[in-house]
Amino acid sequence: MRARALVRLWSIFGEPMWIIVSMGFPVLSSLALSLLYYSIGATNYVGFAVLGGVMVAFWGNVLWSMASQFNWDKQEGLFEIYLTSPASITAILIGMSVGGIVGTVPTAVIVSIIGWVLFHPVVAASWGAVALTFALTLASLYALGMALSSLYLVYGREAESMNEVLQEPVSMLSGIYFPSIGSFSPFPFAVQIAASLIPLTLGMDALRKSLFYGEGFGAVSFDLFALAILAVVFLAGSAYSLKALERKGRRDGTISVRIR
Amino acid sequence: MISFRSLFASTWMGIQHDLAWTTPSLAIALRTVAPFASAMTVSIIYWFGVTQSGMALDPTRLAYILVGSTLYAHVASYAWVPTIAIAEGKNLSVFPHIYLTARSTALYVAGRALSAFAISTTTSLAALAAAYFALGSFLHTSIVLIVTPASLFMLAVALLVNIPAALGLGYFLGAYSLYASKFEWSLPGYIAGLLMVFSGALFPTSILPWPVSVGASYLPFTQFIAASRDALIYGRVGDYLWSIGLSALGGVVLLSVSVWVYFAAEKARKDGVIDRRLA
Repeated sequence: MRARALVRLWSIFGEPMWIIVSMGFPVLSSLALSLLYYSIGATNYVGFAVLGGVMVAFWGNVLWSMASQFNWDKQEGLFEIYLTSPASITAILIGMSVGGIVGTVPTAVIVSIIGWVLFHPVVAASWGAVALTFALTLASLYALGMALSSLYLVYGREAESMNEVLQEPVSMLSGIYFPSIGSFSPFPFAVQIAASLIPLTLGMDALRKSLFYGEGFGAVSFDLFALAILAVVFLAGSAYSLKALERKGRRDGTISVRIR
Repeated sequence: MISFRSLFASTWMGIQHDLAWTTPSLAIALRTVAPFASAMTVSIIYWFGVTQSGMALDPTRLAYILVGSTLYAHVASYAWVPTIAIAEGKNLSVFPHIYLTARSTALYVAGRALSAFAISTTTSLAALAAAYFALGSFLHTSIVLIVTPASLFMLAVALLVNIPAALGLGYFLGAYSLYASKFEWSLPGYIAGLLMVFSGALFPTSILPWPVSVGASYLPFTQFIAASRDALIYGRVGDYLWSIGLSALGGVVLLSVSVWVYFAAEKARKDGVIDRRLA
């Protein structure tokens, strides 16, 4: 796990230009949507767009550097090396997640600083709840990325198209920039329930409550509990499905087939 | 004449590349999802912002945001295609073969951009229509859009007039891909983000600080979106013609400069880097 995390960290911090390159979309989209809130006179909610920019950086990392990674590794011939090494696949995925989270932190910090300096969003935080919510959101989000990585291994070349299809709808349904669940949501109840299966939805809801409305552990306890459950379910699901795929790959002799 | 045949062949190849990896109708449907979701997101932000701030929802402003967000997604999704066509071509060893043909790579790149334009026009208009009905249903409001043969004709003209500008942007970014073999995959994010901020897609460029606001207001993309709004929302023919004129002028200037830059970057051939897969 440590070795895979270090590889990822070195690939990011070993070439600082990567940090600048990867922060383009989160910074600019956060800026644009903050300006949208500002232009319509909803200045109290500019912070939602800034927070959204922070979390969209992690969501992008999950999609492009977790979910797709094993598929790319397979095309490069790395995946079969993972399978033949004594390290467990789950440990490798967790290492990738840790490296991805730490590698995305500079982008998140830059988005926060730019948002803070330009728009001065009103923050009334319960910092303990914010920290725990943030940690659990990332844990469940990256566990989702691990589960998706096994799915993308099955789909092969369609993985990139899947990512492009998933990125925007998930951003919309999970309410990265506006509340998508609860009384302020524009969506019907059934859509809200479905959206709640995405860790980002519950995480964003709890983060907004604890960061902008000062609500403590009590108010976000349900979200935290659900996030923890989702993290465990996705983690177990990814471990099980990767093992099943490995068995099937060995049986069918397709583990080393690089492109399908 | 032969150049037109090459252009057509490249365009057809682009359509095959982008759609034929699965059933074409499914590929179109999948490509509609992102602009639809993007248009929904920004429209809902507007709805949420005004209703929670105690203001009345203005259907015209909602239409302003809906049309702007759909068209920004349209431009963003085809302006970066030259970059990807070159980067992917280098990665898969296709691009050196295009250099071996009798035609310039600029024609190939233009053909790929035109195919992306055709696909993106289809998906963007489908996303606009889907978002129009979905928002009306979710937000219980009617969005003011003028849909007549005349307004659709004006929109079609605006879309066509914007091609030189988008192609110009594509050549600029393509010139980068000719030389560099890294970071080019991140350029689409930058293009989409910059267009969101500076093209007046979501808010008037006048809210940006001077002199950025002045520069942004004269961008061909800003004028293209303004002309489309004049056609679909306000029905102002005079303003439409003014914006179309500025968009066309800006597009010609941008395309001229970018073609020059692109051909200058073709020095990459002499430097022997057109088959370099890694930096």
